[in-house]
Amino acid sequence: MTVRRKLRPIFAYLFLIVPSALILLGFLWLLVTSFSTKTEGLRSLGWTLRNWSFLWKPPFGPMSPSIWLITLNTFLVAAGMTVLVVLISSMSGYALSRMKFAGRKGFLSATLILHAFPSVTLLIPIYFVLRWISGIPIVGGGIPLIGGFGFNTLGGVALVMVAFQLPFGVWIMKGFFDEISWDMERSALIDGASRFRVWRQIIIPNIKPGIAALSIFSFLAGWNAYLIPFTFTIRRSGKISVLSVYLQSFMGETTITNWNAVAAVGLFQLIPVVIFFLFSQKALLNIYGGGKKGGV
Amino acid sequence: MKITLEALNKHFGKVKAVNNLDLEIGDGEFVALLGPSGCGKTTTLLMLAGIYKPTSGHIRFDDRVVNRLLPKERNIGMVFQSYALYPHMSTFDNITYPLKLKKVRRGEMKERAQKAADMMGIGELLDRRPAQLSGGQQQRVALARALVKEPAILLFDEPLSNLDAKLRLRMRGEIKRLQEDLGVTAVYVTHDQVEAMTMASRIAVMNYGVLQTYGAPNQLYDHPDTLFVAGFIGAPPMNFLETRFEERDDGFYLRSQALEIRIPDERGVLAKQNGAPQQVIMGIRPEDITIVAEPEGDFRAEVYLIEPLGREDLVTFKFGDEEIRALAPAPFGGRIGETIFLKLDKEKVHLFNPETEVSSFKER
Repeated sequence: MTVRRKLRPIFAYLFLIVPSALILLGFLWLLVTSFSTKTEGLRSLGWTLRNWSFLWKPPFGPMSPSIWLITLNTFLVAAGMTVLVVLISSMSGYALSRMKFAGRKGFLSATLILHAFPSVTLLIPIYFVLRWISGIPIVGGGIPLIGGFGFNTLGGVALVMVAFQLPFGVWIMKGFFDEISWDMERSALIDGASRFRVWRQIIIPNIKPGIAALSIFSFLAGWNAYLIPFTFTIRRSGKISVLSVYLQSFMGETTITNWNAVAAVGLFQLIPVVIFFLFSQKALLNIYGGGKKGGV
Repeated sequence: MKITLEALNKHFGKVKAVNNLDLEIGDGEFVALLGPSGCGKTTTLLMLAGIYKPTSGHIRFDDRVVNRLLPKERNIGMVFQSYALYPHMSTFDNITYPLKLKKVRRGEMKERAQKAADMMGIGELLDRRPAQLSGGQQQRVALARALVKEPAILLFDEPLSNLDAKLRLRMRGEIKRLQEDLGVTAVYVTHDQVEAMTMASRIAVMNYGVLQTYGAPNQLYDHPDTLFVAGFIGAPPMNFLETRFEERDDGFYLRSQALEIRIPDERGVLAKQNGAPQQVIMGIRPEDITIVAEPEGDFRAEVYLIEPLGREDLVTFKFGDEEIRALAPAPFGGRIGETIFLKLDKEKVHLFNPETEVSSFKER
């Protein structure tokens, strides 16, 4: 009996270690490769920093954008998307959780269906929508920094990403709002607050973990996005590229791919994500662990 | 401030949560809304607070109709069962939140918060967060927050239900005393009839959204208007027996298979005037039944269960198919299975029409 009981955690660890090791090995390979001229398995056949030269020298000639511009682009898309998703989700989540209006249930189930929709199927219609936005002056393509909200702009990419992220965000936020007692809200109303002030001063501070979790999720989704930026921007290494698309441009169809450089750029893209995870693990677990009572 | 409810209705879809409620609460009065859960008492309170809008009818504060006023325009303070403190704010910030919204000067705010906190005995706890306070302390903070804006009306939604029995007893007294000292009109929702009896100057008993009765605690206890009120108020509850109401040459009688008693003439006449049917429900409180020697007894019954309550023993008797519970001075000498004679206090017998559930002794 006792032997068995002692063995149980060992099995559990074994079960966790084996798959984790496989993934960790992959990362280790990435690290070694990015600093090597050539590798044989995990063994480096010569160390070099050349693969990381994209940090100080545009790899596709002096006219191509630097990695830092691309990083800024990625950050803009991810951050802009995060702000919009959190703002819209927390407001609509509140309304869906707290207010009674016609079509509330229908809206909730519709968003759930949307969430389940594979985004690939919508790429072509969205293309037309973005082309149409492009036709609008200024909004379409005349805004500094993000370009605008039309086709082949950072704003446009962020907009589409927000749209895909919102159903998830709204549901998560609604779940968190559902957890807040009505009494607290009523009490604030009686104390003299307006509905909006209650939302801002009483409710929002109490769902901070939810907002934190949703922010992180949205940011990572934006940072790592590939399909949407790839589809709705032209020229992979152009000025409005983001990291994931930029990475792809290293794998040319006509030239020989420098896999060591790909590893380095991949690793570069990964760094913020890892740092993010280190600091936000707790909040991330929150989104699945608690606060999600849901229900219509 | 005087509160008047006129033909007040609140419907949620098809559910009539509050049905045609008329109620008048005098200035400075302490009124309890009493009833089982789902009877509409909290809905009524939330309409007073302005959280719910009435479906129809009027709410007046003094002479002003307030149906459309927002909660913040009503000058009310409310205390919730869950305390409803703001967890992210300190006790001080909790108490001063209403003042902050009213844009009261910082100095005055501090002064008033300290005064309210001292009054509730939590002056030392102003820096703490709600999570660092005990349930009783949290409730005091909630009270202080309700009092700090010097409201014209205080609303209570089962404020003591989450406290332990001893603390509940103490807070009961404190709230009552506080309300008397401040002279503020108070409406207190509870399902605990002891709370309602001890605290309120008048009790409104509700069931299924309908006002059953409204009166002083003793009035409701001694002369319940309806079967529901009779059964709801008083612990242990009133006994009910199905009997026949008979008028004979020498007076009025209640008769069942195992029992026959004569009730006082004036009560019988009143019941007759009120159209008491042949089949009536007789009610008698456990304390109005005494255990006697054979010749004085109204009927014989078998001891079925003895429950010591300390000062008295609650004894359940069986006779025929019926059961009746009586309070006997402790220690009750009888044994289970023993046959004993019981006497009812005829002055304290109640009669109810089984159809309408209205008391046949109700004065019109």
